Amino acid sequence: MARLRTSFANFVAVCVVALHLVLLPALYYGLGYVVRKSHEDLFIEHARTFARVLADEFELGVALESESRTEDLLDLAIVHGDGRYAELTDGARSVRSKLGSPNIKAPRHTDLTFGEGDDDIYFVVLPIVHAGRNAELRLGFDEQPTLERIHLALNRMLVALAVYFGVAMVIAVILSHRLSRPIHRLQDVSRSIASGDYAQALQIATGIRELHELAADLDNMRRELVGVNDRLQAKIREKEISEIQREELQKQLRHRQRLETVGTLAGGIAHEFNNVLVPIILFTEMALQDLPGSSVSRSDLERVLTAAQRAKDVVKKILTFSRELGDVKLALIDLRTVIADGLHLFAALAPPSVEIRTEIDDAIPPVRADATLAVHLVINLCTNAYQAMQGTQGILTIGLRNHGNPPVTGESGAFVEFWVSDTGHGMDPATAERIFEPFFTTRSVGVGTGLGLSVVHGIVESFGAKIVVETEPGKGSTFRIYFPAVLQQDRPLEPIAPVA
Amino acid sequence: MQSVLVVDDELDVREAIERVLTRAGYSVRTTADAADALAELRRCRADVVITDIIMPKINGVEGIECIRKEFPSVRIIAISGGGNFGVSAYQPHAITTSAYLAAAERAGAHLVLTKPFESMDLLHSLEQVLGVGHA
Repeated sequence: MARLRTSFANFVAVCVVALHLVLLPALYYGLGYVVRKSHEDLFIEHARTFARVLADEFELGVALESESRTEDLLDLAIVHGDGRYAELTDGARSVRSKLGSPNIKAPRHTDLTFGEGDDDIYFVVLPIVHAGRNAELRLGFDEQPTLERIHLALNRMLVALAVYFGVAMVIAVILSHRLSRPIHRLQDVSRSIASGDYAQALQIATGIRELHELAADLDNMRRELVGVNDRLQAKIREKEISEIQREELQKQLRHRQRLETVGTLAGGIAHEFNNVLVPIILFTEMALQDLPGSSVSRSDLERVLTAAQRAKDVVKKILTFSRELGDVKLALIDLRTVIADGLHLFAALAPPSVEIRTEIDDAIPPVRADATLAVHLVINLCTNAYQAMQGTQGILTIGLRNHGNPPVTGESGAFVEFWVSDTGHGMDPATAERIFEPFFTTRSVGVGTGLGLSVVHGIVESFGAKIVVETEPGKGSTFRIYFPAVLQQDRPLEPIAPVA
Repeated sequence: MQSVLVVDDELDVREAIERVLTRAGYSVRTTADAADALAELRRCRADVVITDIIMPKINGVEGIECIRKEFPSVRIIAISGGGNFGVSAYQPHAITTSAYLAAAERAGAHLVLTKPFESMDLLHSLEQVLGVGHA
């Protein structure tokens, strides 16, 4: 069941109203009782005192000596004591004031409480003894004026309580607004944060310590969020850039692969066509020499020669085209980035049976190479390694370290050694010797073109680097490439090119 | 009569060259690979060897080195229709036709000729190496 929710100001107002709905009636009835009781007690006290004084007068014999004097005293009780009934009787005779209400029945005893009976009269009956004679003074006091005073007092109290309730409500509304204003401010800022706007500082002017501290805590949280958000945004931008670079790299690699295919095709066509064209041209030329000048076949053979010449030009153009596409662009590159990019692309090809390990030193100077080709180099060597381990569990290790004086280069100086090693089938010395030749392959037809390692060799040579292979049948192979390192003093102004 | 040994694994190419040179008055012999060429030279020397470069067994460059070593006075013309076997995209000066021919020159060929060629080119080249040789 959904819980009923209301605003803070409404909640405070409802609480104040609810509190007063309980409090005010209790107050009204409580105070009313006290007021009523006070008035009643005062009235009774007054009535009894008045009656006593009058009784004393009679006991002293002041009034009883004459009936007219008695009547005067009884009239005095009616006139000055708010009386309605006044009588003095000794059983045999009775004197009653004529000023009182004539229809009132004579009381037998003093009323115990105010308002007893339904006559609005409070009776006091006092025995009097005078000169051995017993008599009774019976007085009836009018309760109505006291009742009116009580009623008036209660009405005033009701008005006072209503005014109090109104003032309390006004104060409650003002207070609730003062309390809810900083809460609304907190709410607005937290909504801004939720919608991604972290720039708005959370500062609220409030004298309430808890709210002030809450605002300060939330503002600290907001600043933390700003930091986290900035870091996340930076990471996202980095990832986007990296994704763009990866796509660009893949595009370049695909382009290179297309070039390689075109080049392979062109090379094959060129070789075959050129060999075919030699006998066509030479035999046609000899046939032309043998034919008499008038022979109708001469023009045919001349056309053969022209066509052969065109074929030769076409082959030449194909070769020129494929060569021009393959320019190597050398720049300073960081091989660690190249390896990371190469592995990133290779990871999609590698079967799960191959475990890839890296042993890469930290302080590796840049080398001069074509970044795209270098990535291609990594992929080709990794592909060769995993093909050597195909069908078996194997470990492919990629390493990078500084090398002072590699034996293969024949030179001393700073070199960067990059190696790829596998735990595959390895090679015998005769195979290892020919491994970089074009079209040489140890694999069955259809598995590999035999160009992978010659491509690797070509790439390495174009970088001015050296490659060697260490291998033994059954023990795997390690391909080591030595790049001349470009040290700081050799490149004061040359920037390191990004890979993609 | 000056003798020429033609070395090429393509039969049609061998025969075409043989016919052109025979017509021009040269004494021509042919072999299909460099190993046979060396054997043929040992059997009977030649003034000029015209050799292809891309051949099975021993390639032309190695063949030239061997001939130059064993028969230093023999004039050599290297011919090739090579092509760039794909890897030229990465090593432009190593695998192309001109690279093969350059390798042949480094190995000791006196002249290089790119396939396909015409009879005049062939005869002119031959006269050139022989002229150089006789000079």
